[in-house]
Amino acid sequence: MRSFLSRTAAMALVFAAAGGLLACSADTSKQTASAPAAKTTAVAKDAVYAPRQLTMRRLSGEQYQNVIHDVFGPTIELGGRFEPDLRVNGLLAVGSGDVSITAAGIEQYDLMARRIASQIVDEKRRDMMLRCKPANVAAADDACAAQVMARVGRILYRRPLTQTELQAYVTAANVGAVKTKSFYSGLSLSLAAMLSSPKFLFRTETAEPDPDHAGGWRLDAYSKAQQLSFFLWNSGPDQLLLDAAESGKLNTKKGVAEQVERMIASPRLEEGVRAFFIDDFGFDQFETLTKDTTLFPKFSAQAAADAQEQTLRTVVDLLIKNKGDYRDIFTTKKTFITQELGAIYKIPVVDTLPNGAPDTWQAYQFPADDPRGGILTQVAFTALHSPPGRGSPTLRGKALREVLLCQKVPAPPANVKFDIVQDTNNPLYKTARDRLNAHATNPVCAGCHKIIDPIGLALENFDGAGAYRTTEQGARIDTSGSLDGVNFTTAAELGKAVHDNPNTPSCLVSRLSAYALGRPVQEAAWLEDLNKRFAAYGYQVPALMREIAESDNFFAVKPVETKAADAAAVPAKEAR
Amino acid sequence: MPGPRTYLSPVLGACALTLACLGGSFSPAAAETRSYVVSWFSMATNSNDTDCGPGGPNPGVQIQYRKNLADLGYTPAQIEELVKKSQTGEGGEMFDILRNRGRMNGKPVSPYIYPATAIDSKWKAIVGKEAYGFNLDGKGEATKNGFVDPETHEKGVNNELYRAFGCYISMRGSLEGRPTYWAWAWGQLKDSQPAWLITIDGADLTKDGPVTVTFDRALEHLKSNVDGSPRADATYRYDSDPRSHNSFKGEFKGGVLTISEHGDFHMLQNPLVVPEFKLAKTHLRMKFKPDGSLTAFIGGYQPWADLYFSFGSGGIGIEQCITGDVPGLYWLMRKHADADPDPKTGQNASISATYYIEAVPAFAAQPPTPKVAGDAGER
Repeated sequence: MRSFLSRTAAMALVFAAAGGLLACSADTSKQTASAPAAKTTAVAKDAVYAPRQLTMRRLSGEQYQNVIHDVFGPTIELGGRFEPDLRVNGLLAVGSGDVSITAAGIEQYDLMARRIASQIVDEKRRDMMLRCKPANVAAADDACAAQVMARVGRILYRRPLTQTELQAYVTAANVGAVKTKSFYSGLSLSLAAMLSSPKFLFRTETAEPDPDHAGGWRLDAYSKAQQLSFFLWNSGPDQLLLDAAESGKLNTKKGVAEQVERMIASPRLEEGVRAFFIDDFGFDQFETLTKDTTLFPKFSAQAAADAQEQTLRTVVDLLIKNKGDYRDIFTTKKTFITQELGAIYKIPVVDTLPNGAPDTWQAYQFPADDPRGGILTQVAFTALHSPPGRGSPTLRGKALREVLLCQKVPAPPANVKFDIVQDTNNPLYKTARDRLNAHATNPVCAGCHKIIDPIGLALENFDGAGAYRTTEQGARIDTSGSLDGVNFTTAAELGKAVHDNPNTPSCLVSRLSAYALGRPVQEAAWLEDLNKRFAAYGYQVPALMREIAESDNFFAVKPVETKAADAAAVPAKEAR
Repeated sequence: MPGPRTYLSPVLGACALTLACLGGSFSPAAAETRSYVVSWFSMATNSNDTDCGPGGPNPGVQIQYRKNLADLGYTPAQIEELVKKSQTGEGGEMFDILRNRGRMNGKPVSPYIYPATAIDSKWKAIVGKEAYGFNLDGKGEATKNGFVDPETHEKGVNNELYRAFGCYISMRGSLEGRPTYWAWAWGQLKDSQPAWLITIDGADLTKDGPVTVTFDRALEHLKSNVDGSPRADATYRYDSDPRSHNSFKGEFKGGVLTISEHGDFHMLQNPLVVPEFKLAKTHLRMKFKPDGSLTAFIGGYQPWADLYFSFGSGGIGIEQCITGDVPGLYWLMRKHADADPDPKTGQNASISATYYIEAVPAFAAQPPTPKVAGDAGER
């Protein structure tokens, strides 16, 4: 099955169409009156202006699901498999602008679309889902079909349908109704077509001239709405946000600020924060994580799922519910636990449900002298960054450097030998430290290991599945090391060192802004500005998200560099 | 007592916290509790090449069935014809005969429900000298048919259940080489009955001294790892049902825990083995392994009729696939039962038995007290 226009051509079309949308607002409202003092210390606005190219990002599986559940309710089952995502510059959100859909993927989307559509028009649901009833259920009904498709289309496409689009979907519903002698079957076919349209599956963007930056461009109001909603809620815009776009409020700073405040105050912010950290921490890699069941028999699929959830709950509880300091995620003793995890942590977790019932989550606080504290000591981090049969100071140290401190670690040479490192039964090298020391005598290896091993070795008290241990092959494990000149002797002290490392908050700023924009942010001035604001807010992540969401750069774009022939290939009126 | 982990029970922990809040004194070192969940349960077996005498163990079920048929009067030719048909699927006549091989007033009846109506095939019992067991009758070496315990080397220990069953192929094995029947039975039990908890209290369980050992049922089933092995360090709640609560005073000495009180032991179990597992004159010997788990032998006199009817309820299915001749087990236990004689008939109702237990560390907690409508504050 042929997919659709080339991505470059499509983006060029979007941009070309934007030339006709000059009903922009000249509103230059300042920041809200409640803006904190931090804003006054920011660098000059022009210095941080950094427009990006328009992008067309594919919805992630999670976003697709969230949109469907937002529109049609959480009982709708998707029943398909999404295309694999692509991690670029450390983030799937960045890679989402570099992916298309394969022929097999289109079939999956089509399958899901048909399944979802059939559930929407199902007799059990239709009265709740649809706001009109056909005059005759066995015949086409223009008015009802148009009402349904216009309302649903506005949510799924994240903008109103054009008249042409709406008419096409109504016609499809009518033809289907006549052929099947059922209004709802016809409607289902039309809904399925909408759900498998690239206009739903991809977040296309439309630009318009930016009155605040002469000669510059910005996203139009509907594109802004989806930019905001996918960043803050990891889902499509709700009706209020679309209304704000429709009314032109999103073309004003005040209007954007109002919506951002509303969205950040919403419980749905948790979904957005979770989505970022799932991407940031690379939790998608759990899908392919395996452990040797002989060595780590407690590491079940449920334990893996619970481990991710534990870290996410820890982060969300600290950052959103308690409005805490981001850096504290590396030191906090507070977490959440299930019976499945309790067996790995060796913590009693009393549940009150009958046999076979799913575990419940319980708040838990590690004692002050417990070696665990912070997300680095949780099962999710230690197990995810370990091979199937052992722990790995190297993988853990590399992850810490790259993911949490934004420091690039070069890949190992192609001809490097790992036999000493992997031989965990070698009586000469009983501990991982011994093995890595022997391995690092090779000067080709020594350079990188010098910067990643000392921090990874601090986590050696946690085996490949995250269980606590003090010895390896009978030898006592030494967890001392240093991070950028700060010495430590335990995992808890490593957590403190990461907490205090200046790269820790600046890395989050860098990754969160890249996540928001769908591209690596390299504009030093803007990052510096965000870092100052983040610090001034006490490293509160929702405040940083607000700063990014309200920034001009969040919406600033520039023309796509493409061939004129591509842009002329499709009529401009279909450019959306 | 070796062991990697000491766990203060939630009850003790709560007491400590309460006393601390009230300004009272409480020394956590005054008591230590370790909890375990039973992860293997079977008859203690110690089979060897000569313990069934010349000819070895009893034959497999196909030969046993031939003998059953011969005992019923079938000729060798008739038997072979019946066996051949049963094997080629041409007819189930042989099984109909076998599942009704009991005779009551001359009429065929189920030998599983009425085992005494089946002809005693006089299957062999253990003639070897060694078996795990305890000196239950107090006679020591003077006891009739006493065994030598292969672990303690104590002479005169009683374990007539092992003697009775030990030459059935399905019951043969060792502590490490699981007997087929018990491997099957435990596989069913562990997922179908609430787990058994063992709790050991003492002043300092790293040293010799008095201890209290309790056995309780949990509210949860045994939890397993991804490879099917028992999960250590999982949390269980005590079942407050008194029918499954047992407490014995004992002593930890030289690496072995034994009990000094020899009362009754009773635990609700799965009817697959026995609905209520009961022992009288309970004896216990327990050892702790470096990995934190434990092994134990628990012995006493067990009502054998209860045990038989658990086999009998499985009928020809369990007989054919797992155990071998089921009425034969009845006759063997009846013959070797060695306690609780009937005042009129003299037939012993109980048989000396010793079971082997393995257990892994667990957390055991009292469940929250359920709120009852009408309690103060609920009105």
